[in-house]
Amino acid sequence: MSRDRFDFTGEPRRPAPARRRASHADPLAPQPGPTPDEACSVTQLNALVKATLEEMLPPLWVSGEVTGWKRYRGSGHCYFALRDELAQVRAVMFRSDAGRLPTDPEEGMRVRVLAAATLYERRGDFQLVVRQLEAEGGDGLWRLAFERLRGKLDAEGLLAPERKRALPAHPVCVGVVTSPVGAALQDILNILARRAPWTRVVLSPARVQGDGAAAEVAAALGRLDAAGVADVIIVGRGGGSMEDLWAFNEEPVARAIAACTVPVISAVGHETDVTIADLVADLRAPTPSAAAEYAVPDGAELRRGLRLTEERLRGALVSTVAAAREQVEGWNVALEDAVQYRLEAARERLKGSAALLEALSPLAALGRGYAVPRGRDGRVLRSAADFAPGMPFQLRVRDGELPCVRTEEESHGTS
Amino acid sequence: MARPSKRTKSGGERLEPRLRRLDEIVAGLEREDLELEDALALFEEGVGHIRAAREVLERATQRVDQLLEIAASDEGAAP
Repeated sequence: MSRDRFDFTGEPRRPAPARRRASHADPLAPQPGPTPDEACSVTQLNALVKATLEEMLPPLWVSGEVTGWKRYRGSGHCYFALRDELAQVRAVMFRSDAGRLPTDPEEGMRVRVLAAATLYERRGDFQLVVRQLEAEGGDGLWRLAFERLRGKLDAEGLLAPERKRALPAHPVCVGVVTSPVGAALQDILNILARRAPWTRVVLSPARVQGDGAAAEVAAALGRLDAAGVADVIIVGRGGGSMEDLWAFNEEPVARAIAACTVPVISAVGHETDVTIADLVADLRAPTPSAAAEYAVPDGAELRRGLRLTEERLRGALVSTVAAAREQVEGWNVALEDAVQYRLEAARERLKGSAALLEALSPLAALGRGYAVPRGRDGRVLRSAADFAPGMPFQLRVRDGELPCVRTEEESHGTS
Repeated sequence: MARPSKRTKSGGERLEPRLRRLDEIVAGLEREDLELEDALALFEEGVGHIRAAREVLERATQRVDQLLEIAASDEGAAP
């Protein structure tokens, strides 16, 4: 018979709890092999040793250095050896247990394992079946996983500062990826409602801890981004243990954040918890509440800003109008000045002309006492010969005309 | 990094273009060499933006949706 529990060439099965199989290890049954005639088969021997081992040695913690760790791609089972200065032992960790490890241990890493000692019957190899493995010094394996993923993403440039996008100053819609039942969501909604209640919130729900949480968060991010409604996305959860927060240290979440087409704010746990998600996100908020504060402007401040803008608008208009009025006033004065000047000049000229005219006017001569005689026909009588005796004529003096007649007496000289 | 500004899927009124335009208007009005008619036009435009922005801010009821419903309604439209 062959009932191998650990088939290294195929799919090993998980061993049953250390319970002895009566067929080979019943202490009441006759012991095989005390004489050559009672020789047992190798198969019988190994089954007997295995059963004895499992019965006598309950699962126990063993410490040592990891060497030769190998995780098989297809099966997911991990094979390695545990050693100290003097001895070593083979060990296997099946997929269901190995899948809970944050990452593979490094060569030479000091670990503690909870394991059952058993025998791989087909080869007669003594080995440990490891159920739990942790690095000595607590979170060593978690830190190692963190550093490995950080190194990988960094090498791809996903953590580069120039990848960080600025948040929109006035988002119309904020997307949130978190647990629909967590305190983080309430914190975020409270802050958004207080600061910017006009902002629409779209929740893309996901479990944020436990098996499969990373895949759920990544999928929720992808769906939200694909929907194209959010201007900025908050992804996160409230505080918890390192294991509780672990989904945010896993590669699918990191890649989903990096793939988002709008800026992402991460808010995982408390101030002191820094996760891979924080490193990939465009902005890391210390808490979910802080993320909400970063995401939206403060309404009160906005209103103050609008008031100030309004005042500046009015002020600017008033001064523009005042400047225009001043300009018109200026034109008015200039116009008046110009008119006044022209008027003055004209007046001056007129005065000059009048004086000239005065000087040339025959009327001026009349004013000085001269008179002008004119005949009936209006002709000016310039000579004594123009006056026949007894002839009537008109005499023009300063303020009128007088009818005159030449007397009969002969006279000489001027008239 | 520049983002597409014409996302209207969320259905909200965008404050950002208004506030940006308001900044331009104030800067324009505060310049000295503006014609009076232009100043008046800018002023009226600015007052309009302020009023509209205030209307947005006063819409004070928070609206929260779960993505599931949105995703379901968009399913048919996906290529």
